[in-house]
Amino acid sequence: MSDDAVLIRSARFRQEREADWVRLEALVTKAEKGGAQTLDFAEARDLASLYRQATTSLAIAREISLDRALLNYLEALAARAYLSVYAPQERLGGIFTRFFTQSAPRAMRQSWFFVLMGFLCLGLGAFVGYILYFESADWFYVFIPAELAGGRGPDASTEFLRSIIYDEDPEASGLGAFATYLFSHNTRIAIFVFGLGVFACLPAVLLTFYNGLLIGAFVALHVDRGLGWDIGGWLSIHGVTELSAICIACGGGLKLGAAVLFPGQRTRSEALRHAGRDALKLALIAALMLLAAAVLEGFGRQLIQDMTTRYAVGWGIGLLWLAWFVLAGRQRA
Amino acid sequence: MSAVETMTRKERRAERRRAAGRIMPPEGVELGLPIAGIGARLGAQITDILLTLGFAVSLVILLVFTDIAGPNTVTVIGSLLFFAIRVPYYILTELVWNGQTLGKRLMKIKVVSHFGGPLTTHALVLRNILKEAEVFLPATLVLTLTAESALASWIAFAWVLMALAIPLSNPHRMRLGDMLAGTHVVHLPDPILLSDLAKTPVSTAREEDKPITFLSHQLDHYGRFELQTLETLLRAQDGRIQANQAARNTATLASIVERIRKKIGYSDAVAPEDHEAFLRAFYNAQRAHLEQRQIFGDRRSDKHHRAEKAENGPKT
Repeated sequence: MSDDAVLIRSARFRQEREADWVRLEALVTKAEKGGAQTLDFAEARDLASLYRQATTSLAIAREISLDRALLNYLEALAARAYLSVYAPQERLGGIFTRFFTQSAPRAMRQSWFFVLMGFLCLGLGAFVGYILYFESADWFYVFIPAELAGGRGPDASTEFLRSIIYDEDPEASGLGAFATYLFSHNTRIAIFVFGLGVFACLPAVLLTFYNGLLIGAFVALHVDRGLGWDIGGWLSIHGVTELSAICIACGGGLKLGAAVLFPGQRTRSEALRHAGRDALKLALIAALMLLAAAVLEGFGRQLIQDMTTRYAVGWGIGLLWLAWFVLAGRQRA
Repeated sequence: MSAVETMTRKERRAERRRAAGRIMPPEGVELGLPIAGIGARLGAQITDILLTLGFAVSLVILLVFTDIAGPNTVTVIGSLLFFAIRVPYYILTELVWNGQTLGKRLMKIKVVSHFGGPLTTHALVLRNILKEAEVFLPATLVLTLTAESALASWIAFAWVLMALAIPLSNPHRMRLGDMLAGTHVVHLPDPILLSDLAKTPVSTAREEDKPITFLSHQLDHYGRFELQTLETLLRAQDGRIQANQAARNTATLASIVERIRKKIGYSDAVAPEDHEAFLRAFYNAQRAHLEQRQIFGDRRSDKHHRAEKAENGPKT
C-alpha cells in the first residue's frame, strides 16, 4: 500500500511537502527560542519563503484533504510561522532613539493647536483666579482645599509664607520628597486631564481651568503680601516643567476628545485610534516632564535658595524643552 | 430563507466565536489562532504582578537596610518603585518577546495584531499604558478605600466592574487597551505532525486473503464527519491500549464494523482478527472517494448529505 502510485492524492501531496514543513517547524522553534537574530542569513531567508509555502499548502490542503491531523498541523504551523515572520524587528535602542529624535517632537508639532489650547485653558484659569482673589480673598478658600494649602491662606502671616518659600527642612528633601511629589496633586491632575479628554474634551478643559484657578489664587495671595517675585521663583524652578506637562497632557486629552467629537470621514473608533498615535506620545512626553519636575522639586528646590538662580534654572530648563519640541526631528531639505 | 436567518441565537454566538479565532495575514490565507480565555489571561496577569511586586519589595527591603530612606517615606517609595518597575516591564518584555510577558510565556498565550501584520511598538506601548488605567488604578482604589468615602467606593466598584465586563462582552476578549491598540490575545497553537493514516499498510491476518476492496456505491453513505471520527478511532489504536480496556476495545471495533457493513451493504463476513484491517481499508477507500468528490465540488459534511441535496435540489 505504501507504493507511491497507490497512495491517494492528499497523501501524495503531504509526502512531497513534508520535509519542508519539518524544516519550517525547526526554524520557527529556533526563532521563538532565541529571537530572529539567532538565525543566519540562509535560515532567515528560508523562514520567510517556507512560511509562504506553508500558507499555500494550507490553502490547498483545505480544498483537497480530509485528513484532520494534517489540517490541524498545518494550521498550527502556519500560525506559529506567521507570528515569527511578522515579529517586530526593531532593536530597543532604535525605538528609544526614534522616540526622542523624531516621533516625540513631531507629535508635538503636529498637535501644536491642542497643546496651545491646553496652555490657554491653564492661563485663562490662572488669570481668572488672580482677578477673583483681589475682588475677595475668600475665593481662596473656595478654590483651594485645606490639605493642599498646608496652612497657607489669607489668614497666614507673611513670615510664615516666606518661611515656606525659603525653608530648609531636611526631612522634606531628597528621595522621599521626590517620591511624595510624584504621587501628589499635580500628577493625578495630569493623568485625569489626559484620560478624561476622551469624554468630548469638556472634563479636560474644566480640570485644567480649575488647576489654573488654584495657581492664580495662590500667586495672588503672595503678590498681595509683597512676595510676588519670591513665589515666582519658588514656582519657576519646577513649575515651568510641571505646568507645561499638565498643559501637554491636556492637549493630548483634547486631541482624543476632538476625534470623538469630529471624526470626519472616519468612524469614531477609527478616528480615536488615529488620534491615539499622537496623543500617546504627548502623554509619554508629559510623564517624562513630570518625572523631571519631580527631580527638580525633590532636589533642586531645596538646594537652590537664591531667587534669581531659581528663575534661571526653571526657565532655562523650560527653554530646553521648547528647543527639543521645535528643533528636533526635522527633515533636512 | 437564508442560512443566517434560520440560525438560532446559540448557533450565531458559536459562529461568532469561531470567526473570532481567525486572523487574516497579509498572505491572504486565513489562520486559526484560538482566543485566549479569561482564565489564562488572569493567570498570566497574576504571575506578572507577583514578579514585579516581588522585585519591588526586595528593592525596598534593600533600601531599608542601607538606611537611604527614612521610615516614614518607605511606603511612598515602595509604591513608586512598583510603578517604576511594572510600566517598563510590560512594555519591554512584550517588545522583546514579540507580545509575551513572562506570565504570558508561562501560560502559552500571546498578543497579536487584530488586523493581521506585525505588532507595532505603538500598539504595545498603548495597550500597556492603558493597563494602568484599567487594572492598576481601580485595584489601588479598592485597596486604599475607607468606609467614609462612599462615593469613591461606588466609583471604584463601577470601574472594576466595567474593566471586567468589557473583555467578557466581545468575542475577542479585548480589554479597552486592546481595542484602542488594535490587538488581542491568543493561545499559541502547538503543531504536532501525526503520521498519515493512509500510508499505514493494511494487512489482513492471513496473507493469502485477497485485499479488502469497496465498490463506489458503498462509499456514498458517509461524509467528512464520520470519516474524521473513524480517523480519531484508528489513531487511538496506534497508542497503547491498557489490558483492562482491550476487551472493551475489541467489542467496540466489532460493533462499528457491524454497523458499517450493514449501512453500506458489505456482504462478505469479516473475521474478528481482521476488524482493524477492515476499518483501515475502509478509511482509505472512503477518504479517497470523498476527496475525489470534493475536488469535483461535491462537499459532503456528514451522512445526511443526501437528504440535504434532495432538499436543496429542486431550487438550484
